[in-house]
Amino acid sequence: MTELVVNGAAVTTDADPDTPLLWVLREHLGLMGTKFGCGAGLCGACTVHLGGQPVFSCLMPLAAVEGQPVTTIEGLSDQDDHPLQRAWIAEQVPQCGYCQSGQIMRAAALLQGNTAPTRAEILDYMSPNLCRCGTYNRIVRAVQRAAADI
Amino acid sequence: MGVTLPKVSRRRFLGGAAVLTFTVGAAGVVGVTRGTASSVDPVRPNIWVTVTADDLVTIVFPATEMGQGSSTALPLILAEELDADWDRVRVEQLDRDDRAFGNRLFGGVLYTAGSTAVSAYFDPLRRAGAQARQTLLRAAAAHWSVPVEDLATEPGAVVDAVRDRRLRYGEIAALDDVTFDVVDVTDQDLKSPTAFRLIGSDTPRLDVPAKSTGTERYAIDIRVPDMLYAAVLRAPVEGTGPAAIDDADALAVPGVVRTVALPDGVAVVAERLEAAFAGRDRLSATWTDGGEVAAISSDATLAAYTEAAADPGRAGAVWRTAGDAVSAIAGADRVVQADYLSDYAYHAQMEPMATVAAVDPDGRGAEVWAATQTQTLTMRTITDVLETTPDRIRLHMITMGGSFGRRTALMQEYVRDALLSSRATGRPVKVVWTREDDVKFGAFRPAAAQRLRAGLTPDGRLSGWHHRVATPSVIAYFNPIRWEQVAPNDIISLRGAESQFYAIPDLLAEHVITERAARIAPWRAIGASYTSFAAEAFMDEVADAAGVDPIAFRLRLLADNPRGRHLLERVARMADWGRPAGETALGASFAGYGDSMAAGIAEVSVDRGRGTIRVHRFWAAVDAGLIVAPDNALAQIEGGIIYGLSGVLKERITIRDGQVDQNNFYDYDLLRANETPEIAIHLERGDGPPTGIGEVGTPMVGAAVANAFFALTGRRLRHMPFTPDRVSATLV
Repeated sequence: MTELVVNGAAVTTDADPDTPLLWVLREHLGLMGTKFGCGAGLCGACTVHLGGQPVFSCLMPLAAVEGQPVTTIEGLSDQDDHPLQRAWIAEQVPQCGYCQSGQIMRAAALLQGNTAPTRAEILDYMSPNLCRCGTYNRIVRAVQRAAADI
Repeated sequence: MGVTLPKVSRRRFLGGAAVLTFTVGAAGVVGVTRGTASSVDPVRPNIWVTVTADDLVTIVFPATEMGQGSSTALPLILAEELDADWDRVRVEQLDRDDRAFGNRLFGGVLYTAGSTAVSAYFDPLRRAGAQARQTLLRAAAAHWSVPVEDLATEPGAVVDAVRDRRLRYGEIAALDDVTFDVVDVTDQDLKSPTAFRLIGSDTPRLDVPAKSTGTERYAIDIRVPDMLYAAVLRAPVEGTGPAAIDDADALAVPGVVRTVALPDGVAVVAERLEAAFAGRDRLSATWTDGGEVAAISSDATLAAYTEAAADPGRAGAVWRTAGDAVSAIAGADRVVQADYLSDYAYHAQMEPMATVAAVDPDGRGAEVWAATQTQTLTMRTITDVLETTPDRIRLHMITMGGSFGRRTALMQEYVRDALLSSRATGRPVKVVWTREDDVKFGAFRPAAAQRLRAGLTPDGRLSGWHHRVATPSVIAYFNPIRWEQVAPNDIISLRGAESQFYAIPDLLAEHVITERAARIAPWRAIGASYTSFAAEAFMDEVADAAGVDPIAFRLRLLADNPRGRHLLERVARMADWGRPAGETALGASFAGYGDSMAAGIAEVSVDRGRGTIRVHRFWAAVDAGLIVAPDNALAQIEGGIIYGLSGVLKERITIRDGQVDQNNFYDYDLLRANETPEIAIHLERGDGPPTGIGEVGTPMVGAAVANAFFALTGRRLRHMPFTPDRVSATLV
């Protein structure tokens, strides 16, 4: 059994220690907001926070995260009202929406270290996260809207 | 969709309260029924609109949602004419192959493709909404015993202004002293566009909140009790399947339940997803002989297509003809000719394929959670695989994590494999593809070779246009039943080559139907992603040969198309066309999709050392007729431009020994955030029929970039994508 702290709650799982955190979150704990895109740290759909830092949960074995606080999209805010989530809605960012949990989690990490990012800073920071629908420019607008709101 | 009310809970919530239902047929609303919730069978066919005593209006969404936004736009059209209170509208996904809701642009098949959802359903939805509104008006008039002419509607209510009273739609549904009748409507009963409250407004998309909070559910997210997981080891060469399976090591993985032989692979079924993947890694199989398919290489294929395009003895199927192009070119003062090439391209929808199926104990029924662009063909896949009838199938159409044409085929192997795995194990099974599966076993935009020839008069005017496209028939492969109906006209392979927006008296566009050498499929903008690249890059070559500015040359050809002229003039102003090239240069393109037109200008720079092209800005002017959802239209056009740029600059599938070379986003990368240009879009707000916005952004992109590259370097890029090796070779 492995003990984890997910979204502030202690949980245990009997998943193998080498199981990627992504599958533990999704299929063992039922937290489906974090997405599987590539399994190789190339698309960012699986981005969660580990100790406050953005990581690819598809590359993170369960054993490596034991005891560390994990935050997923479900735990980003109490009422789904994080400034980024409000901004995502205000700017109507999502199209298919599949990548957007990962985008929001990555953007949240950006805003922790940069409260007024420029367009270029946002695009650089967000470039590990793919969006096939092409919402990148709306993501810029939403991040800047949220930054002004924080 | 996050907003869809599950049928079960709606029924429970309503209890014995009044329900008014409107059923549809080909001619519009054909029935009105008043009953209680418990007396209305929630799966009874053809209920398009339901009004309940609590003022909720439930509207069936007959398409499917892949990110394009029609799960908001279509119900909104009906709500407009019904004069519904949008805050009280709920949307219900159509989960059946019920042709009463079919897409009239696809012969009544339920098919969400070709940017047609709004254009196909606009008139029927308006009419149905108007009919339902008239029924409510007449019921209120009967209840009050007043002439219907005294009454009007406001959002969600019938209003009697003369006597200062009102009835909410829910109250009308509960009236027990009136009958509800089907009312025929004429065009005069439809709202005038100036009276629209919802159409043309920036009503937020209904699915955006769930997609901003991680609560939207995709097929890959479905979990049902007692569910198993399957990963499929697939035969590497098309047309082959398992000859011998050694699954001892796979079965030794804790949690692996069994393996299941499939027509073209072997499924490893396990209690946990990670066990299914681990079991698949340990599975050994030998495959049947691939024969000639195992020798296919994409380089040789494209070389053969190039020869076919160039061979005048190779007849083409006429796609569009006007006048006599061949004679006009033969008699021209000068002839311009060029060959354009394009490689296979992969959809790369962000959600890898996934399906959940729970087959009934007798093997002839199933509950299925699938994410596709077509209820009809998914139902057909299921009934074909289980050799059963649709009444035995409980289908759930799930919102897609992107599709772009991927989920459209007659036989949907990602659905089939879940069914076969569930039937073999007697338990529900979720099949999940990895990204590598999705790349290796994708179905691609076909490779194409195109020869273009044009004549010029002594005074530099176009005299004859001949566009030969050598590429396989996509329809013949992905939907052979459709091919029987439309052959030899393949809109998927050829769209765009018609060059219909220009007045070209002598034009011939033809399809040299070549041998298929890969799995192929529609890909966003279908043929226009390569035919418009070729046509509009070649148009620049012709303009250059004529010594005329590329936009001025095009404007001459748009003399009969004032809307098109307007777009091109507009985008030229937006981009400050005519300013001298410096570190960057501009390139123009005029294309579109179907009847939607788009003019675009790209501003590019080139890193000559690395051979990389950077697109700094992109301007577009688009006319797609009446716009139902302007903000979403802008998002779709911008997404289409980025999809186009990604394909033009980066995307290339290659095949060797009958197998796809690429694996994942490290060798099939997409346009990333830090490569994204600033994009400015002018969207015309027309009052004609809506003509579609989902793909109009894509076709113009390739030529705009190639033409800007020429303006900067004097060199032509004629092979898409413009990878660094090709760019560097061009600059030598």
